[in-house]
Amino acid sequence: MAAIGEAPALFLRKATGLVKGWSKFDAFLYSFMSVNFVTLGLFFSLSVIGYVPAGQVLPALLISGAFITCLVVTYAGLISIMPRAGGDYVWQSRVLGGGIAFVLAVTGWWFILWYWTPIYASILNVEVLQPLAAFTGMDGLLTFLGKDIGLFTICVVTALLAGYLVSLGMEGYARIQKVCFYLGVGALVLVFLVMLFGSRAGFESAFNEEAANLFGTTGNAYRDTIAFAGGDAALPADIGLTPFFGESLLIIPFLCFWILWPNWGSTLYGEVRGASDFKRVMSGMMWGLWVTIAIAVVFLLLASKFFGWDFFNAGNVNFINYFYAYTDSPGPTPVWNYPPMLVGMFFHNDLIGALIILAFGAWFLGWAGTLFLSSTRVIFAAAFDRILPEKVADVSERRHVPVWALVLMLVPSLIVSAFYAFTTVFKTLILDATLVIAVTFLGTAIAAMILPYRKKRLYESSAMARYKIGGIPLITVTGALTALFLGYNLYKWLWPPLSEGNLYAINNADSLLFMGGMYLLAVIIYVVAKIVRKSQGIDLGAIHKEIPVE
Amino acid sequence: MKIFFVTDLHGSEICWKKFLNAGSFYGADVVILGGDVTGKAMVPIVQRANGTWEASLQDHRDTLESEDAIVEFEKRVMNRGYYPIRVSDQEYVAMQEDEVLVDKRFKEVMLDGTERWIAMAEEKLVGTGIRVIACPANDDMFEIDDLLSGAQVVETGDEDHPIQLGEFTMVSMGWTNPTPWNTFREAEEPELAKRIDTAIAAASDPETTIFNFHAPPYGSKLDNAPALNPDLTYVSGGQAIRPVGSTSVHESIKRFQPLLSLHGHIHESKGATRIGKTLALNPGSSYEEGILQAAVVNIDEKKRKVKNYQLVNG
Repeated sequence: MAAIGEAPALFLRKATGLVKGWSKFDAFLYSFMSVNFVTLGLFFSLSVIGYVPAGQVLPALLISGAFITCLVVTYAGLISIMPRAGGDYVWQSRVLGGGIAFVLAVTGWWFILWYWTPIYASILNVEVLQPLAAFTGMDGLLTFLGKDIGLFTICVVTALLAGYLVSLGMEGYARIQKVCFYLGVGALVLVFLVMLFGSRAGFESAFNEEAANLFGTTGNAYRDTIAFAGGDAALPADIGLTPFFGESLLIIPFLCFWILWPNWGSTLYGEVRGASDFKRVMSGMMWGLWVTIAIAVVFLLLASKFFGWDFFNAGNVNFINYFYAYTDSPGPTPVWNYPPMLVGMFFHNDLIGALIILAFGAWFLGWAGTLFLSSTRVIFAAAFDRILPEKVADVSERRHVPVWALVLMLVPSLIVSAFYAFTTVFKTLILDATLVIAVTFLGTAIAAMILPYRKKRLYESSAMARYKIGGIPLITVTGALTALFLGYNLYKWLWPPLSEGNLYAINNADSLLFMGGMYLLAVIIYVVAKIVRKSQGIDLGAIHKEIPVE
Repeated sequence: MKIFFVTDLHGSEICWKKFLNAGSFYGADVVILGGDVTGKAMVPIVQRANGTWEASLQDHRDTLESEDAIVEFEKRVMNRGYYPIRVSDQEYVAMQEDEVLVDKRFKEVMLDGTERWIAMAEEKLVGTGIRVIACPANDDMFEIDDLLSGAQVVETGDEDHPIQLGEFTMVSMGWTNPTPWNTFREAEEPELAKRIDTAIAAASDPETTIFNFHAPPYGSKLDNAPALNPDLTYVSGGQAIRPVGSTSVHESIKRFQPLLSLHGHIHESKGATRIGKTLALNPGSSYEEGILQAAVVNIDEKKRKVKNYQLVNG
């Protein structure tokens, strides 16, 4: 019952679309699975910290988290100002113009996903299939999976799996994702408990014994692993917080591969809404980001305690050096020292080891569906804007599958996968996959910064207009900080050239040719579309022209 | 003939003003508002005992201390598609407790709003040669039909009243298949199919027929909406999308094959598709942000074909 003096509330009538928001947990879940600790974090970002021996990962993680928080606020703000718009492409089109938006969106949300296919496949291979083959004693399969043809086969399987998950639709996939979340988190808790209560000496002994059983190693495989990586002198010192800045900042461009994506997917927003919805969108992404960071901090501390910091980093460095063909041998063990596999070895029981690996596979399955989903949305949006042919937005009537959009994802993905599997140079371009999306995000951050000034009416009609810092719109401030963060990473990725010792291995001719080719392709498509549409009497420049009000 | 088609303005005054200017902006011969003319919410501006006025918009409580401030606030409210109402403390509390009072007030403000819009159209478009059509749909109460059909410049149509656009016939259908909100013009699919059949009877030649059916065809990707739980919260954080259009509409398009089929209703499902030979469009709606999403369709009258089309955000 209302009382005099209360804040006046809206009167709503029965009308279509008046939803009541959504559960914060659901919003968190999608974000949490996107900044996937196991697939993206363990596979790469936390495996390469040995390349910055004088840096510390914990401060790098906290600093990244602080800046990515700004990215979260910026995206939540854009969602509240332009809801249901379809994300980066539409936001950028409205503020920066259709041409820039098309080029940045298709490169970041479509073309570069071709390259993510073999990365997903590599993760499936080294985190699920190879450890399973090892625990189940399938040596032939293990050997096959270690070969180029094995990796290419997994690429094909991954592309088909991602395509199948798209055809399932997000509703079906969301159910799978929820099950995967509980299974994956349950397995993670188990592994953490083992790492907490198990001793390092016990692990060392178990590793030596099981490495001999599973991979036929001789002698002290634990010590040999450290020695193979160059010994303690070449590896990071103990985990800690100093230096908080300095060399630790060099780890940040590696971490982006994993934690730059809490904003993946959240583009919906209800009607007749207010600031509370902005907070709800933001909190879903924020929890996704910071719970992941908390898990990572706990894991790293436990890894240092249980595996030993030098062994943990040595196993990773050995794997990365071999995977990217910097060395001819993988070290004492032929597969990556994947932490859940190491914990599985502690049980001295292959079945338990295999079950742990399978349960951790849920982290992959609950994440793999994100590969093509966003791409199909961008392809559709570009088709509706008449930049791409109408046909590419076709959906099969019988199965509701976006056939042409999937073809445009699958076929190039397999070509890129072949390059990835059968050449060594293509594998080393892994951070291109992050860089191109970061450029897209940079475009969005810049659009967000200037939106309150370029689209004044749109901004002022939103709940975001009330949030200011020192009189400056909050979205301008967070957009600027996001741009600063992305700019730092872009600078580090691209400078100096690899020939002068670039740590991130992507400023070289192959990498620039690959990325430049994608941007060139996007520009060509846009220019051709503009010319063709003009001949048909359609002005692509008119799509976002605002009609005068008075 | 160039058609400028929008839908689901839901009371957004800024969108209506843009709509009235769209004919000259895009060089269109006719501007069409396909359905859902009226707003969904009233924003009370409550006069407190001390004489000040208070209101909340987008979760923010405002104290309005002058007439200018109130007028400015009312303008903001109307631009979002809501209706501002000035009430006393006691009236506000009474309305909170009595749905009948709320319904009565809704009816008043919606009719006032529609009358004001019609007057704006008359002022703006008389003598320009640009035709303006506004049709009611499922979210519009029946009372606005008389207002629209009584207007001079604004034309309207429904299943019993097709509209001639040169030699083309536009058949309109504001009724939709059932929604979770139990709105004014909803019917189960069999009944909707009958209504559609009645409407189509006025059209003879598919090549010169345009459908203006508010509900999009089922499974056409013009009808994708976030799935809802029974308590009207989003399933899976809004990521789960379902087709919610009408099977009767789909069937009628497939069967009759009109030249063009214009739709709305599902705001987040902007798109274009072909159903057989028919081009079906849903420009979507961003009325609350004041963005006028629209379809600009160029028809070759001689060849009786859609020459080109474009979905724009004006």
